[in-house]
Amino acid sequence: MRKILFPILTLFAMLTIVSCTKLLEEKPIGLLAPEGFYKTKKDVESAIFGAYGVLASEPLFGRQFVCALMFRSDMVDIGNRGTSAERIQMNDFNLDANNNMVRAFWPSWYQVIAAVNSAEAGAKTLGLSEAEINPLIAEAKFVRAMSYYHLVRNFGDIPYVDIFVSNPENIKSIAKTKESEVYQLIIKDLEFAKQWLPDTYASDVRSRPTKATAAAYLASLYLTIADYAKSYTEAKWVIDKKATYNYELETNYQDLFKADLADNLKEIIFSVDFKAKLFVGNQNDDLVAPMVGIRNTPQNGFGVCVPALKVFTSWNASDYRRFVSFDDSTLNAAGLKIGYTAFPNEKRPHIAKWRRFPGNANVDGRYSDYNYHDMRYAEVLLIAAEALAETSGPTQEAIDYINLVRTRARNWPGNPTGFPANLALAGLDKQQLIDTILEERRIELSFEWKRWYDIKRRRLGDTVFKGPNSLEPQPNFTASRDYLMPIPQTEIERNPNLKPQNPGY
Amino acid sequence: MNSFKKKINRQLSWLLCCLLICCFLHSSIVAQDGGNKTVSGIITNQKGEPLSKVTVLERGTKNGTTTNDQGRFIITLKFTNPVLRISMLNFVETDVTVGAQTNLSVIMKESTSIMEDVVVVGYGGVKKSDLTGSVVSVKSKELMAYPSANVVQALQGRAAGVLVQSNNGNPGGSFNIKIRGGTSINASSNPIFVVDGFVGAILPPADDIESMEILKDASATAIYGSRGANGVILITTKRGKAGKGRIEINSSYSSQEEINRLPLLNGPQFTEYIKEINPAYVGGSVNTDWQDLIFKKGKIQNTQLSFSGGTDAVRYYVSGALYDQQGIITNSSYKRFSITSNIDFTATNWLKVGLNLFARSAKTLGVRTQENTGGSGSTGVVAGAFKFGPDQPLFRPDGSYSLAVIGDPHDNPYAVANELQNETIGSLYQYNFYADATLIKNLKFKTTFGAFSNNERTGEFTPTTLNAGRNVGGDASINNEIRTSYINENFLTYANTFAKNHKLTILGGFSYQKFVNEDFSARSQSFLSNSVSFRNLAGGSVPLPGNSSLSESQLSSFYSRANYNFSDKYLLTVNARYDGSSNFSKNNKWAFFPSAALAWNMKNEAFMGNVRSINSFKWRFSYGLTGNQAISPYQTLARFSSVFSIVNNLPVNAVRPTTIANEELKWETTAQQNIGVDIGFLNNRLSFTADYYKSVTSDLLFPVPLPQYSGYSTQIKNIGKIENKGFEFVLGSKNIVGAFQWNTDFNISFNRNKVLELPNGNDIIYANAPGHMVGIANSAQVLRVGQPIGSFFGWVYEGVYQQGATFTPGAGFEQAAGGEQFRDISGKKDASGKPLNEPDGILNNDDRTIVGNPNPDFIWGLNNDFNFKNFDLNVFVQGSQGNDMLSYTLLELETLSGINNTTTESFKRWTPSNTNTNVPRLFTGRPQRVSSRWIFDGSYARIKNISLGYTLRKDVVSRLKMQQLRFYVSAQNIATFTNYRGYDPEVNYRISNLNAGVDYASYPNAKSYTVGLNIAF
Repeated sequence: MRKILFPILTLFAMLTIVSCTKLLEEKPIGLLAPEGFYKTKKDVESAIFGAYGVLASEPLFGRQFVCALMFRSDMVDIGNRGTSAERIQMNDFNLDANNNMVRAFWPSWYQVIAAVNSAEAGAKTLGLSEAEINPLIAEAKFVRAMSYYHLVRNFGDIPYVDIFVSNPENIKSIAKTKESEVYQLIIKDLEFAKQWLPDTYASDVRSRPTKATAAAYLASLYLTIADYAKSYTEAKWVIDKKATYNYELETNYQDLFKADLADNLKEIIFSVDFKAKLFVGNQNDDLVAPMVGIRNTPQNGFGVCVPALKVFTSWNASDYRRFVSFDDSTLNAAGLKIGYTAFPNEKRPHIAKWRRFPGNANVDGRYSDYNYHDMRYAEVLLIAAEALAETSGPTQEAIDYINLVRTRARNWPGNPTGFPANLALAGLDKQQLIDTILEERRIELSFEWKRWYDIKRRRLGDTVFKGPNSLEPQPNFTASRDYLMPIPQTEIERNPNLKPQNPGY
Repeated sequence: MNSFKKKINRQLSWLLCCLLICCFLHSSIVAQDGGNKTVSGIITNQKGEPLSKVTVLERGTKNGTTTNDQGRFIITLKFTNPVLRISMLNFVETDVTVGAQTNLSVIMKESTSIMEDVVVVGYGGVKKSDLTGSVVSVKSKELMAYPSANVVQALQGRAAGVLVQSNNGNPGGSFNIKIRGGTSINASSNPIFVVDGFVGAILPPADDIESMEILKDASATAIYGSRGANGVILITTKRGKAGKGRIEINSSYSSQEEINRLPLLNGPQFTEYIKEINPAYVGGSVNTDWQDLIFKKGKIQNTQLSFSGGTDAVRYYVSGALYDQQGIITNSSYKRFSITSNIDFTATNWLKVGLNLFARSAKTLGVRTQENTGGSGSTGVVAGAFKFGPDQPLFRPDGSYSLAVIGDPHDNPYAVANELQNETIGSLYQYNFYADATLIKNLKFKTTFGAFSNNERTGEFTPTTLNAGRNVGGDASINNEIRTSYINENFLTYANTFAKNHKLTILGGFSYQKFVNEDFSARSQSFLSNSVSFRNLAGGSVPLPGNSSLSESQLSSFYSRANYNFSDKYLLTVNARYDGSSNFSKNNKWAFFPSAALAWNMKNEAFMGNVRSINSFKWRFSYGLTGNQAISPYQTLARFSSVFSIVNNLPVNAVRPTTIANEELKWETTAQQNIGVDIGFLNNRLSFTADYYKSVTSDLLFPVPLPQYSGYSTQIKNIGKIENKGFEFVLGSKNIVGAFQWNTDFNISFNRNKVLELPNGNDIIYANAPGHMVGIANSAQVLRVGQPIGSFFGWVYEGVYQQGATFTPGAGFEQAAGGEQFRDISGKKDASGKPLNEPDGILNNDDRTIVGNPNPDFIWGLNNDFNFKNFDLNVFVQGSQGNDMLSYTLLELETLSGINNTTTESFKRWTPSNTNTNVPRLFTGRPQRVSSRWIFDGSYARIKNISLGYTLRKDVVSRLKMQQLRFYVSAQNIATFTNYRGYDPEVNYRISNLNAGVDYASYPNAKSYTVGLNIAF
């Protein structure tokens, strides 16, 4: 009898153990499930913040995306030509559809979009009144609009997704949305944002959008699609309401590029916020400083994003902005000052905007405290000037906007300068004015990833890369191909409906 | 240890007393039946050595005894015309007619027939002749032929159909096993290990293993259901036998060196090379051989001490093993100490209980190899030694380590090897208790309860002497992972023989197993001093966010098997297992895995009775289903992941969707059929086994790449089918017997693998390239219907363009004399846009094709044992034939874009004066591109082991009060025959089922010279 009891008791004991746990049901602890995630506005906010986290990551504003835009321009060349071929391809207009810079930032942009799509969908399930929830929906729409705005300028026709994807089959075989249509969808989102976003946030942070942020992006977008009247209207709206939104040109141009001050600048309309020395994987990891830093000096830079010498030499030495933008000398290991001709590797002045004052960063400037500005008030002034010049030719109003920017530029502490002089209306024709504004943008917004977009929207490529006054000649530049980047080959392989590839790739 | 031994001794004597009392009572009862004659005798083996514990039974009675240590027995007989049946395991049973003799002398013959070995199978054991499945046994002697940190290494080349590849050559590195090809593409191909019945247990060292049984076909594996598809390896550890205690010491010392080096440019050659593209380059004045600086002589010390023995009531095996390896790269080592203790008790006449314990502590010092990203903050030691400028000194004038001056400012490899600290400490406790009860006649019940807990702590510190550390003031992290598993098995076995010729064994059981993985980590930067290492994270002024996670899974199973044997001629095995796993989606948690097998012992048929030359002849047929879990916990659930996000300069709670749910996920199922034959000839001097198998795995689980505009990168789905089929042959031969003995064992296996079905028939293109080789762009391998898994995918290299050639245009392709020339294959489309697979005059992604197959045509192992008098010689050769390799190492070194050092192959490069060549010019703008230029034949044959041993003569040994003393010298990996141009064809970069035959920056395998001795008391 004992013998028979033995297995029975064993089985009984085992069944007791097993029945304690609800068999085979997964109860993940510490993981977040989307079902039932959105319960309060705070949850919606955390998904929007998720999008900001991806913006502030190495593939986007931390390095790949902004460096790609710098390389495309005539303002930044490759320094160390021993660097990865992907960068050289990007710079030398020799891109192919497998380029890894593109492959790095393309998915990240869409991760930003997916996060805010989810936030928007979640917000709509909360059953709150428009007044309560629409500001958050507007914020989600703004981030989506801003993301597609960058994508459409680089890729033209693109897959456009504005729903939360819970079943990929739904979007797996969509075709590309036409460039012009994408612009209209962006405008729709920005208009909603302009209507519903708040005027300000706690601590007046500039890494979240306000009504005026939406207006500034509308101004920029209309300028891009050459709808100058609307561009002027939106820019003017921002300028007129600058007191409401607490916008002002910083008195010292250098302050815009001091990481320690980055969170308290009145000039900033939208920036991507990085905090020094904290990161998780590639999130909050910025490598712009090492990319532009001087190699084999105490800067410990990679010397990769280095302007062609002519960018420096053609720039008036009395311009404070040249001083802020460039390191034409550095201290060597022995603490002695060496001029750029004595730099160990790339014997050219290097970018200082994103290197000189990185705050509490790594020695090479990585994990800095910089916030990377995507829109600042000076640009809105120049947008207004350019749009107005297009619609009305030279006017005092346009000249005044430019001179606001120039006046600030002359404020070189300890080294007063008369350069750049104020622009006068007299004797200026429309084209001259527009050229002057574009040139002003090149200088004022140098190394802030605006130049390539200007070259593209104004179709300046053949002039600036192949013309006699080219700062950075690129004989390989091909206008029929290079205004757009190739869509990553893997995307086309996964969804052949994305064909055709952009021309020339 | 001493007190433990005393305790054991005390228990042993106590149990011995009990046993003697039993014997006394028993014999007094027998004696009452009235015996009339007392016979004594001695029983010896063929060498004349006395045999103890031999059973002597008077036939037809229960009257019996056993021999003592001197081989002697005394028995009082009951019948007048008695016959004694004398039997012992591993000896041929004999009957002796007593007649008038009173003092017998019996010589027992060892049972030479290999067919009589008992083979361990799932939840039991069967005689080899009764086996219906395809099972290979590898014995202790082969496993201990040379020192191995991991016993899996010792399996290499030993068993047909089993492919063992090292993941990396570092001390303590792991191995990848494929049995009959990879049956999965997402999951590991590694078989499931079962140690003394504990499924999924951690392997003890080779020294403590008695045998390994490799179950290959569904007949043998289906009892493991959802974990059987990759094959099952059963490990039986050594156990004590009743009898005189035995003390064994096995000790060896090996000296090691790297198996090969690459021929690189020296300092002046390198300077000249760089000057060709950068005339302003000022080379360093030195000539540094970085390979010289990182490689050193390594050594292995391996010692094992074991005690075994016991009585009928208690048997023990207790062993301690120490393995201490200093790697062949500076600062790399592996040391482990383990204890194995197996105790078996015969508690009552119906109950046996036992306890297996295995405890291990290990310490690994790692150097960075096989780096996934080789940016300037993460230079690897091996790739660094290949790439770093040989014109640069070890130190700069200020005493700091030199940095690369060409390309990114990499640390020099010597600095990385010496300065980067990486230490892993593991402690493992594994125990398994069993109770085996005979409930009623023929019905047994066995229950086991086992658990292991493996705790691994990894500390890493990057000091300020390295780039990555300099930038942050030192970087320290500590990571802890605890893996735990609990298992409970309960099964009943019923065995009986009906009507003499019908033997039936039925088994049925239930098991429950739980796995828990828990980990946490912390990291901190900016330290006052490098001396802090990772020992005081609070000393860093910049703490980084900590991390922790938990994952749990459960498996619940019912299983059953029936074996039916008719007349030892026809054998039938039917298996079934019903498995439920928490890992699967709620709609598909349970699945059923049946199999059936038939064997025909043809030799036992009357018509074969006269064929003397054939001793055994058996056919085996099996068919069945097995599964693969293939996914980890929570993968069927949709998930948001937290994002590190800053708002208002402060970290905030932030999430984004990262995983998409799939509620329909099913198990991968492999249907396998096997036909085999086992033949023994010429008194079993020659044995031959052949198997043909075919397995088709359907519902493959695969993270299907999603278009990235979805915001996701992949979704796990059941996507398709793959097939593996092949032949395996094993030949064993005792070529020469007698004073001089020569035995040969040869195995060879041919596996063919192909993809049968993919979603919509579309290719899946992927790569597992080092992250810094950005040009590879996730396109180096392909899954394509009809083609082998892991086929290499790229452009077809056609040599170099000559002056005046027509250059094929294409974005990113060279159009210059001396440039790489690729074949234009495809791209032309018809009017509707459908590809015609015709050249279109433009080079682009359409021109990629399959350029190589990493799967070998066949793999083989050849073992020769020679014995002459007291000498023994073993030569073991192993090889692989027809497998291609993709070398990222050579791709990186020989792309010739002037960003790193290169091999001497660069001397052949195209220049206007050297045009007759296949090697392109030096060109800075050349991207790293996967093409047939980097695909090499990876076939090789390698002398794995040569060993010469000398065993002292018995009389000499016994004078030393020993049972055995053997010395040996051996050498491992001393010669390799290959055309592969990399340093070793037997390396694998991040191996998986999708990724084989890829070479990058691996820690090289070592050549070893070993001396050792085995002593037994």
